Amino acid sequence: MLHNKSFVKKTRAGRVMKQVREHYLRDDIFCGAPFCKVCDTSGARLSASPSTILVLDTNVVLHQIDLLENLAIDDAVVLSIVLEEVKNKNLSVYNRIRAICSNSKRNFFVFSNEYHRDTYIKEMTGETKNDRNDRAIRVATQWYQNHLGSGVKVLLITNDKENKRKANEEGIHAETVETYVKSLDRPDLLDLLVRPSEDVDMEEVEDLRPSKRKVIYIEHKPMSEITSGLHRGIYHQGKLRVNRYNPFEAYVGSESIGDQIIIYGRSNMNRAFDGDIVAVELLPQDQWQEEKSLSIACGDEDEDEDVHLAPNSADDAPRTIPQQGSSGEINAVSSRPSGRIVGIIKRNWHSYCGSLEPMPMPAGSGGIVHALFVSKDRRFPKIRIQTRQLENLLDKRIVVAVDSWDRQSRYPSGHYVRTIGEIGDRDTESEVVLIENDINSRPFSSQVLACLPPLPWTVSSEDLSNPIRQDLRNVRVFSVDPPGCKDIDDALHCTALPNGNFEVGVHIADVTNFVHPGTPLDDEAAQRGTSVYLVERRIDMLPKPLTEDICSLRSDVERLAFSVIWEMTPEADVVSSRFTKSVIKSSAAMSYVEAQARMDDSRLMDPLTTDLRNMNSLAKKMRLRRIERGALTLASAEVKFQIDTETHDPLDIGMYQIREANQMVEEFMLAANVSVAQQILKSFPLCSLLRRHPTPTKEMLEPLLRTAAAIGLHLDVSTSKAMADSLDQAVGDDPYFNKLIRILATRCMSQAVYFCSGELSPPEYHHYGLAAPIYTHFTSPIRRYADVIVHRLLAASLGIFKLPSIFQDRGQLTSVSDNLNYRHRNAQMAGRASVELHTLIYFRKRPTDTEARIVKIRSNGFFVFVPKYGIEGPVYLTTRSEKGGGEWYIDEQQQKIKKIDGSISYSILQTVQIHLEVVEPQPNRPKLQLSLI
Amino acid sequence: MRGIDLAALSKPQKLRLEKALEELESLSSKVNSDASVTVADSIAVNHEDAILKGHGTADLNGEVVATLCGIVERVNKLIYVRGLRSRYKPEVGDIIIGRVVEVVQKRWKLEINYSQDAILMLSSMNMPDGVQRRRTAMDELNMRIIFEEKDVVCAEVRGFQHDGLHLQARSQKYGKLKGGQLLTVPPYLVKRQKQHFHHLEEYGFDLILGCNGFIWVGEHIEAKDDMVEDQVNQSEPQVLLPNKSAGNLEEQEKNYTALETRKYICRAANAVRVLSTLGFNITLEIIKGIIELSLSLNLDIHEMLGSEFCVAVAEKEAERRKSNKKRR
Amino acid sequence: MEYVSPEGLRLDGRRPMEMRQIRAEIGAVSKADGSAVFEMGNTKVIAAVYGPRQVQNKSQQMSDQALVRCEYSMANFSTGDRMRKPKGDRRSTEISLVIRQTMEACILTHLMPHSQIDIFVQVLQADGGTRSACINAATLALADAGIPMRDLVTSCSAGYLNSTPLLDLNYVEDSAGGADVTLGILPKLDKVTLLQMDSKLPIDILENVMQLAIEGCKAVANYIREILLENTKQLEYRRGV
Repeated sequence: MLHNKSFVKKTRAGRVMKQVREHYLRDDIFCGAPFCKVCDTSGARLSASPSTILVLDTNVVLHQIDLLENLAIDDAVVLSIVLEEVKNKNLSVYNRIRAICSNSKRNFFVFSNEYHRDTYIKEMTGETKNDRNDRAIRVATQWYQNHLGSGVKVLLITNDKENKRKANEEGIHAETVETYVKSLDRPDLLDLLVRPSEDVDMEEVEDLRPSKRKVIYIEHKPMSEITSGLHRGIYHQGKLRVNRYNPFEAYVGSESIGDQIIIYGRSNMNRAFDGDIVAVELLPQDQWQEEKSLSIACGDEDEDEDVHLAPNSADDAPRTIPQQGSSGEINAVSSRPSGRIVGIIKRNWHSYCGSLEPMPMPAGSGGIVHALFVSKDRRFPKIRIQTRQLENLLDKRIVVAVDSWDRQSRYPSGHYVRTIGEIGDRDTESEVVLIENDINSRPFSSQVLACLPPLPWTVSSEDLSNPIRQDLRNVRVFSVDPPGCKDIDDALHCTALPNGNFEVGVHIADVTNFVHPGTPLDDEAAQRGTSVYLVERRIDMLPKPLTEDICSLRSDVERLAFSVIWEMTPEADVVSSRFTKSVIKSSAAMSYVEAQARMDDSRLMDPLTTDLRNMNSLAKKMRLRRIERGALTLASAEVKFQIDTETHDPLDIGMYQIREANQMVEEFMLAANVSVAQQILKSFPLCSLLRRHPTPTKEMLEPLLRTAAAIGLHLDVSTSKAMADSLDQAVGDDPYFNKLIRILATRCMSQAVYFCSGELSPPEYHHYGLAAPIYTHFTSPIRRYADVIVHRLLAASLGIFKLPSIFQDRGQLTSVSDNLNYRHRNAQMAGRASVELHTLIYFRKRPTDTEARIVKIRSNGFFVFVPKYGIEGPVYLTTRSEKGGGEWYIDEQQQKIKKIDGSISYSILQTVQIHLEVVEPQPNRPKLQLSLI
Repeated sequence: MRGIDLAALSKPQKLRLEKALEELESLSSKVNSDASVTVADSIAVNHEDAILKGHGTADLNGEVVATLCGIVERVNKLIYVRGLRSRYKPEVGDIIIGRVVEVVQKRWKLEINYSQDAILMLSSMNMPDGVQRRRTAMDELNMRIIFEEKDVVCAEVRGFQHDGLHLQARSQKYGKLKGGQLLTVPPYLVKRQKQHFHHLEEYGFDLILGCNGFIWVGEHIEAKDDMVEDQVNQSEPQVLLPNKSAGNLEEQEKNYTALETRKYICRAANAVRVLSTLGFNITLEIIKGIIELSLSLNLDIHEMLGSEFCVAVAEKEAERRKSNKKRR
Repeated sequence: MEYVSPEGLRLDGRRPMEMRQIRAEIGAVSKADGSAVFEMGNTKVIAAVYGPRQVQNKSQQMSDQALVRCEYSMANFSTGDRMRKPKGDRRSTEISLVIRQTMEACILTHLMPHSQIDIFVQVLQADGGTRSACINAATLALADAGIPMRDLVTSCSAGYLNSTPLLDLNYVEDSAGGADVTLGILPKLDKVTLLQMDSKLPIDILENVMQLAIEGCKAVANYIREILLENTKQLEYRRGV
């Protein structure tokens, strides 16, 4: 049956065009009920004998998605017209409802009513699109009722009064969400409901905040005004970025003025959330605010700086606003433009993790209670929610979604989504860390697991006879990894050649032999992007059998590998290099400690140790050469926990020790990565996945230079070589000084990122930290998806395999690399958050005195870095009440804080003794506190 | 439906037409309907017998395959596909009508709905004066006096020569046609018959059914010719040659065709048009029948092209064929 | 953009392997030797064939075979925005050439020396797949003109969107930027006479997409055969001998 849709459409040029589209109406769309006698039931999704089948209206899907995600709602029919409307209005809700519909555990059925012969309706003259769609929903509901007969009740769930009225008139069962949920007799579900704004009882709000019944925020400008304002240059558009460490300070990167606009305070932020696309109006220049960050805690609420892990790069660190140099002091007014938000172009609301602000149980418990929710991520404001289960939620970590924020309320209102667990519980907090960083820790689906080769897996004769695969089983290959490492993705060999040269090979697990493009396994890995290492657990990118067995290059088993093999002179000059797929049999899987011990033990003369020593001497030469080229030796304050195997509680904590063996392995991995990068870029100049590390700008290095200047150290940062040299010369009186400077330098730099070679020009490919013109990741395909891509590129460049289609689409490759950067960053953030969490758990039982270094001076105290535990936090010299008290004054030039009477002064990088202790200022809110001894 | 503007038909008309056509279908011999093939259809043959593959067939891996849409015909060993709609396929002796497109050295070129223009040599032409003699240079120069471009000429297919298809007009019945209408119909609708020249005395016009699908309806020309008489024509005295000489041009222009005759000419022309539209065979008998039908229905000439008449013709044809069949 | 919903329906309600509705009519141009209208959904094309006839330009005359010419054009009203469609622009020149070559491959030109065959195709409504529709219309018109042919040529397009091979793309799907394979086959001889593709496809996927297009061509061929046979029968019985 054929039907033509015709509609009029306005083109971008403003002309009016009539469009005619075919619309085929079918008779082979089935109702999805397994008990239906007429329809083909092979694709049926509804349960076998439901008492009620729900048909959801668009507004229900759009607003009550959290409710729908609850398992209590089932046997629902989602009409295609509803999906279409939802998709046009809110893509993220659309994706969520799609996920529910495809979940085999849920009985949600998508009925393509728009293509069904009996349920398609034509728009009537004078009928609006909305009315037509509502009618379509009613017609489909009616059809369902008629189709399935009276044995089943078909219930239309709608929150549209008009729609409900009409449905009742037409003899269709229709109810609002609330009445339906109430009929289920599940009070916990009621919390999931989003109340339409007009339903909010104003009196209640009045009761709760009698004094606040006034307009707090200025009104958002209408969209038309914003558009014209943007057009005329009065407003500026950009994404709002809230300072991770100070939620009252936010930035809008604006292309129109080429600078970041600072937004101070909640009222200027005007209800915008982090990540929203906003329109900003610049404030008059005299209102541009002075630096506020000179004191540690600021803002109009009692929130303050926490102790946290020492940042590893500029991206992690609190935003430091480059101060005007001494020349700029004349101008008292800050030249940074400040602004306020006049409108929100696109909301970035999602759900947030956190807990409820402690509050007494109200008298009439069991009723509806308003509570304030505090997000764990401080960038987000508190959220007001209604709940009927306050007593259950008070000591829980919960997830909350935002619904609205109107001008009269200080905080946005939202609704409860789900509970994660008890606050402070390690599992709960780990879960929070994962959720906050958008890490998928769900077990792999059966489709993904179906892609695995049958277990137990061994190298087959086909693999061995495959001409593309070289048999290297007779070569003495070994691996060196951290102790307890199960996902061994790299192994090495080093053989002396008769001509005095060495053949050095780097063998990387051949993951792409098992992960084929386009399979669910590949899609899942691409989505996860990387394995995530938390203190107590690892979230794998690939399923465990691959990660720990099939791909892992364990000792004494034959494994498939992708090898980079060089011939090197004893001076570590590369004579030739080649790449091949191979079969290897590792002779030893050593830990760094073991390898180091072998090398150091001069009595050992076995072949393996000789290989190790040869490699080490080559590595040292390569390293030297790299440093000569200007590679920076950067340092991070990584810490290592010793975890109790039973309780998973941290037993000890200490800095990560780097041995020669580590450096040796690292050196060859770097070399392999560079070789591979050259090879793939040569073959695919436009679609290679590379990794770049941008050269830090002057502004970024400013804090480092200021600190260095204060202690009389001159750093030349003109080139990476100069920087490396001056870092080498920065040797203080104590052994830790140099490392401290390096740590400070490291945190000034931004992180390296993946990119698609077609997106940038070759000079921009540069990797600053490694001083390499091009670089990529090849050596860890088990735990990084980027390496999987690079493996495929390399295989394609060798002509072994054809290039998967994704590489032909530069846009797609860019989105893949963006995802990888995002996942990589999130994985790092999650790792750090996990360490922070465990640090807290560790110190909960062990108040400690230790040595710390001052790294930042503020007007009421300073920040210290604790090298031993890798943490950083504020030390207050004054109590909170006398903020910015007069007793202390700050010497900007010398970076010192002095007591007025001159008796005590603290200068930057000075060593101080501090006391570490976990305090609980509020119940269930433990935090680490540092105080000066 | 091919050729008929269905949209112009009213609903009852449509039903009547369909009924008539259905009747025609049932009347047609069953053998032929099974023998219909389209391009690339294989033709069933008994491979035991030696076969000759004729027109419209090709060999594909030992299979006989049609290269045309049409009817499979078998004549002894010969198997060929008789195409229906296509351009004219000349056969020697065919009487055809053509239009002069070019006058060149000693010859005229005529468009006759064939894949090439046909050639009429000056030497294959009876001179207007009827004298059998050598063609002089003078004659060559005066070729345009005989036929000019765009003249409609009746001739006979002489045969193929290296430079194309040759015609001849060695009889007084051939030659230039005037005072009438030329109609073009698909050639398959005109069957080769004994007689292609007709004089309809009751209406006073001549009808020439060219084998190439060009049909002439024109004023009857009475003329005397005693020089050469075609063997065929001897028994048909009503067919007379056009008597015209170069000197007579002016007089001829003054020649006035009676209005009545002209009306009949138009009626006949429209009859041919209707038949062509319906895809019915075109013969003298049928044309006559249709003229009679139009007269009996008391229709104006222009009404003959209307949809109602079209349906009436279809019905009449069905009736006619039915009665024919019964008679047989 | 989602071109195939998870329920397996395309934007216009078809399933991935389904063609649009096709319709053909023979004899649309009374003055031509052969003519046809061919519709694939909302794409509508008219074709007229003249010939074999005297070669107009003597210098092009060939003594061993017929000259085949083709002219493709789009009616001004064929697309949503009414525009003057210039003749002889690159696109129509290219499509003219494609159609000419495709048809020439199946016409038994050696049977008609010293003559020429003109094929005129005009797009009356464009909704994707005009190339295919033109070829199908031209085949019908040639068969109608009684021009001897080796085989019918039929054409159909197929594409690849949302990781799904799709048969017979309409305009929206065509302009999605995915690969678009236009295939012409000789169904009886089982040979490909035309294969065109926009954009790129991995070879194994191309095979799938091509296979789908072949299925489509065969379906078109069956339909065209039916139409031709019906037409032949009708001509024969109507003529009545």
